[in-house]
Amino acid sequence: MGKYIVKSLLQMIPVLFLISTIVFILVHVTGDPVALMLPETATEADRAALSQALGLDKPLYIQFLVFLGNVLHGDFGRSFHYGQSALPLVLERLPASFELAFAAMVVATVLAVPLGIISAVKRNSFLDLFISGISVLGKAMPNFWTGIMLILLFSVMLGVFPVSGRGGAEHLVLPAVTLGTAVMAQMTRLIRSSMLEILNQDYIRTARSKGLLERVVIFTHAFRNGLIPVVTIMSLQFTSLIGGTLITETVFSWPGLGQLLVTAVNTHDMAIVQAAVFIIAILVILSNLLTDLIYRILDPRIKYS
Amino acid sequence: MKHWKTKGSLLVLATFIALAGCSGGKSDQPNSAAQPNKPAASGGEKVLTIANATDIESFDPQNNNNTQSEAVLVNMFDYLLRNDSSQKKVPGLATSWEKVNDTTWRFKLRQGVKFHNGDPFTAADVKFTFERLAKDAKLKQNTYYKNFKEVNIIDDYTVEIVTNGPDPLMLNKLSRMGADILPSKYIQEKGMDAFLKEPVGTGPYKFSQWQKDNRVELVKNAEYFGGSPKWDKVTFRVIPEASTRVSELITGGVDIAAGVPTTDVKRIQGVNDMKVEQATIQRVLHLIMRMTPGSVTADPKVREAIDLAINDKEIVDSIAGGAGTPTRTSVTPGNFGADPSLYNQYLFDKEKAKALLKEAGYASGGPKVTFSSQVQYKEIAEVAAAMLTEVGFQVNLEILEATKFSEKLNSKKFNELFLLGVGNSLFDASNNYNRFKFENAKGETDYNNPEVEQLLQAADKNMNPEEREKQYQKVQQILAVDRPTIYLYQLKGVYGVGAKVNYKPRLDEMYFAEEITPQN
Repeated sequence: MGKYIVKSLLQMIPVLFLISTIVFILVHVTGDPVALMLPETATEADRAALSQALGLDKPLYIQFLVFLGNVLHGDFGRSFHYGQSALPLVLERLPASFELAFAAMVVATVLAVPLGIISAVKRNSFLDLFISGISVLGKAMPNFWTGIMLILLFSVMLGVFPVSGRGGAEHLVLPAVTLGTAVMAQMTRLIRSSMLEILNQDYIRTARSKGLLERVVIFTHAFRNGLIPVVTIMSLQFTSLIGGTLITETVFSWPGLGQLLVTAVNTHDMAIVQAAVFIIAILVILSNLLTDLIYRILDPRIKYS
Repeated sequence: MKHWKTKGSLLVLATFIALAGCSGGKSDQPNSAAQPNKPAASGGEKVLTIANATDIESFDPQNNNNTQSEAVLVNMFDYLLRNDSSQKKVPGLATSWEKVNDTTWRFKLRQGVKFHNGDPFTAADVKFTFERLAKDAKLKQNTYYKNFKEVNIIDDYTVEIVTNGPDPLMLNKLSRMGADILPSKYIQEKGMDAFLKEPVGTGPYKFSQWQKDNRVELVKNAEYFGGSPKWDKVTFRVIPEASTRVSELITGGVDIAAGVPTTDVKRIQGVNDMKVEQATIQRVLHLIMRMTPGSVTADPKVREAIDLAINDKEIVDSIAGGAGTPTRTSVTPGNFGADPSLYNQYLFDKEKAKALLKEAGYASGGPKVTFSSQVQYKEIAEVAAAMLTEVGFQVNLEILEATKFSEKLNSKKFNELFLLGVGNSLFDASNNYNRFKFENAKGETDYNNPEVEQLLQAADKNMNPEEREKQYQKVQQILAVDRPTIYLYQLKGVYGVGAKVNYKPRLDEMYFAEEITPQN
């Protein structure tokens, strides 16, 4: 397994190089940051002077070589918007993003696991239909709507939770529920179908015929084996929650990566975009690796070479 | 073994739960919003909280180009002179000033002022501040100050600023964003990066903390030269979503919420003692037209028809909920050179517009025009385009995302019409008219009126204010007839104000916490 991990980590290098190159090209061909940095009244000469001062007047391949050289030293350049090094600006957002993503996953898991299992066990019953209904609703409600509604109900009317911002644990509840319900919907459906498939297997019938308690059959024999697709979806959802929770972050003014990245894209803050995409790529790769390792714990038949 | 594996898988789930549980509790953040409708003096501490849509860019006043940033920084730094709430110049770090000759200004500095780190404020700080601003082309504010040739220290509390050529805008430049006085010794010793982390100024409030895209917290500077500040703590929160800002205001999480949308005004007015304050801001909507020979808008009759077809008042009322003032000039009251006869005015006459098009030779099938706007002003552009269609224009409406729009703007690639919101942090007419100088107009409007050119060039260097004002007023009268641009209206800022504070928003959109007072 150690070999497998080392190999996977080495494979990161070409992937990261490719991603950096694509992002570099995209941010450089889609617009000129200088235009957005100066007032509407600035003249052509003002823009040329700033462009030259920032080194943006050099040919693209020179800029790319300089960029690559700097990245090797862990330097993604300076943010035009903040006037500071880009990498620390991205890294300092990670705790907020992780916090929200974890909390959302907790909400989703705590709800989806029992709902999915009940749905499968009581297949086609009223309860199953009801849970399916909740899942569809959870998926269909746009995050910005859920978020605003939760604020109106729990903050404005009831005064239970703060409206927005990042602070104590109470600030985390509403955004986590907003994000969690959407993830929950998808997970519930997945757990249900994965459980249904397993409940029809021969070994479940054998377990039942041995006279095992239904509880033992479901949790020990069925649920554990149905976890692989659930872990997959959790890993995918988690990484997308780290970088892509912009709408929820905006509604709750949560200072995560999503907000940073969108401000950077809007202001053509190249260094931030490059650093953020790089970090998100590393997180996705690491998360995939972790998922692979969890598979092995869940199913020892899976071997790595 | 089997049990161990079961436990292992459950452990994975448990880890998620445990980690999330831990992450929430660590913070030592004040939880203002958790106590709805808290009083201003919670625990005897007077706290003012203001919610903006965007965060500051940085604590480098010279490398910011946005009003929201400066509105925060004015509480930490001081200018040599500043504008009071009626835009009159009053002493700041300079106690008096005089023009020595057309290119030299002398300033007497305030004595006994200290930066937040204890360093005394002297002429060296003024020299450092303006020489950095004038020489470093990377700074976003450099463009306004690059004509500053040098700053001479006469003694510790007297400086002279020398410019390349006469600069009638000197006092305006010293009282706006970019001109905040920086601590020379601190920056030279510790470097700019250290300054950006622990910024130091002379203002009434000191830096406490900045959590990006969340909050900037300032605390009282008890040694402020203007006397002990009114608030113990001033917090600027970043809340991008407008309805969330309003919810924060209603629950008492913030005292002032900027940028209240028309649809939310009633929500605020329905709550006890909360107010909605409207205030004119320095931004005028321009509808800029191409006068290049061969384009339909080169014909003055077509341009007049456009002016007459658009009902500015109707746009203000229907789109902005009344938050705007129609105008026929971009130099609005409060700015040097304003011509009040063109303000709070608009022309609207559909029949005359139709007749003008007929006279211009468009009897059947009106002129085809492309009308470009950025997403920000989409609704306004749509209504204006519909008004043009009503009198016979065939309008191709082009709505562009901000970057695409500025790219087209800078490469001067717009066709007949484009809509642009233009601000003016200099409070001087010259800032509005660079666009119409021959050199800059080339390729964009292609406006070329020698009389206007001569007046603008003369006013740029004219050190006689009365004469200079007349020059700009003349320019405005000519432009109102020539119409290289039609002005729609001057925007207003809409603010929600909580019951515990008195706040009158300013024309320059700055939040001077010392002008905002606690109720009672």
